[in-house]
Amino acid sequence: MSFSAILGAWIATFLTLGIFSYLYRDNPFYKIAENVFVGVSAAYVAAISFWTQIYPNLLGRLFPKDGPLAFTGLVFDFNHEFNILYLFPMLLGVMMLISVFQQFNWMARWGIAYTVAIAAGLKAFGYLNSNVLNQVSASSVDIFSGSLPFFSLGGDSVFNNIVLVVGTLSALMYFYFSKEQTGNFGRFTRLGIYFLMVSFGASFGFAVMGRISLLVGRFNDLIEYSSADYNYATLGVLVFIIVTLGFWSFQNPERKEN
Amino acid sequence: MKFLENIILKLGAVDRRVIFFLIGLAVLIPLLTPISLPVRETPTTVKFYDGIEDIPKNSKVLVSFDYGPSTRPEIHPMNVGVLRHMLRNGHQIYISCLWPDGIYMALDALEEITDEVNPDNVSTFDIKEYEDYILLGYRPGAEAVIKGLASDLRKVYTVDANGNFIDDIEMMDDIKNLNDFAYIYSGSAGYPGTFEWVKYGGDPTGVPMSSGTTSVQVNEVIPYVQTGQLIGLLAGMPGAAEYEKLINVPGIAIQGMAAQSFAHIVIVLFIVFGNLAFFIKQRRDRKY
Repeated sequence: MSFSAILGAWIATFLTLGIFSYLYRDNPFYKIAENVFVGVSAAYVAAISFWTQIYPNLLGRLFPKDGPLAFTGLVFDFNHEFNILYLFPMLLGVMMLISVFQQFNWMARWGIAYTVAIAAGLKAFGYLNSNVLNQVSASSVDIFSGSLPFFSLGGDSVFNNIVLVVGTLSALMYFYFSKEQTGNFGRFTRLGIYFLMVSFGASFGFAVMGRISLLVGRFNDLIEYSSADYNYATLGVLVFIIVTLGFWSFQNPERKEN
Repeated sequence: MKFLENIILKLGAVDRRVIFFLIGLAVLIPLLTPISLPVRETPTTVKFYDGIEDIPKNSKVLVSFDYGPSTRPEIHPMNVGVLRHMLRNGHQIYISCLWPDGIYMALDALEEITDEVNPDNVSTFDIKEYEDYILLGYRPGAEAVIKGLASDLRKVYTVDANGNFIDDIEMMDDIKNLNDFAYIYSGSAGYPGTFEWVKYGGDPTGVPMSSGTTSVQVNEVIPYVQTGQLIGLLAGMPGAAEYEKLINVPGIAIQGMAAQSFAHIVIVLFIVFGNLAFFIKQRRDRKY
């Protein structure tokens, strides 16, 4: 095993157990792991965004070889032709950066306005097409289709179609507030609440399942790193964190919390 | 009866750290002493498998790695399985990433299935970059990237992950936009991911697509399967385990299912005890 692999295992183990130590209480190990995560993530995204997007796709189109701006001495050759339109996003980006100076902070609004407008337009189309029209179309089923069995656990059936239509309508009606939810209408909307509760229950179950899966993943790594190949990284870091936390708790009894 | 009620009340008021410890044990013990539990395929996983089987042999497929290390245990086994399945059917794989660390996940997955790196593994392939696969890499911009791929791939990808010009790569010759792919797959852990691929990739172009998602997203993504916008779905680690069974390559997801099941039992027991304790306490408070 190479030195870098062993060092990586020790760092990974320390950060994992540092985050887990929060289950005991807020402590310096957790703070270290949290801050390292935030710092490394931000730096990584900034660096990779510059080298894979801004450098080839923006600068490459504004300062190509033999382009009209080549006289500036800046040349980024990515086989692109000069495209003056790319000055516009660069200008907006620079304006957003300049806003760190108090007197120029108004400049950021232009870039933000452009981004918001583009995002709103893109999302409006996507939601309407994929989440509204397609879903409405799929919910419009032939309930009593002769070719379907009455009941099926896994596939389409008359029973499932009835549940689909009643569930959709009753849940939608629950959010109809122009009529008082009393009498038969109230009973129907109450049915909608039950459908919503089943949906929330399923979401909670899936969320728990997801968290346990992540725990399984971390434990798998910790088990792997506890081997002699990695110089018993898990055991070493675990003992270190427990002893230090014990000492720290003893030194700071007033910070005990439940 | 009162004795039993007192025990339930005590269990209902147990310190949260005891619950953490018990869940930790429930996960750790099955991992240390592997227990084999049966895995049954769900219809969405079977549909997913059939969807990939239905792609004409030797097609060009786009695989997007839209996750990072934080959700690796759930998505990575799926993506490794999907790569294996697609390579087995002779497809050429084009790998994109909407998440910055997705590129390292892709490199890890490729390493796992490459003969050169894992010569002893029976489920590896003699694959070559720029012949069997190409790593296009990460681009920031989320849905804007997908929209760009749908109209003109070369406006988004000037160079691949190695810095080579896309125009100089032979494997990219016939690829202009998403319509040139036979299939799109996204291994997604959130935003940007499955939702964006459906809205701006699959739906507008009509290219068949499917996805593997984290468990947390399943409830929101599953309607896309019912409408046919997604051809099947791999739902969290259980979905990955079912898929490993279908492609007949047992992996880390199947190994994790016993731990998953035991942890669920502990959680369900505590939910039951917590509720019973609540009702017992409510009844006693009413009495006195």
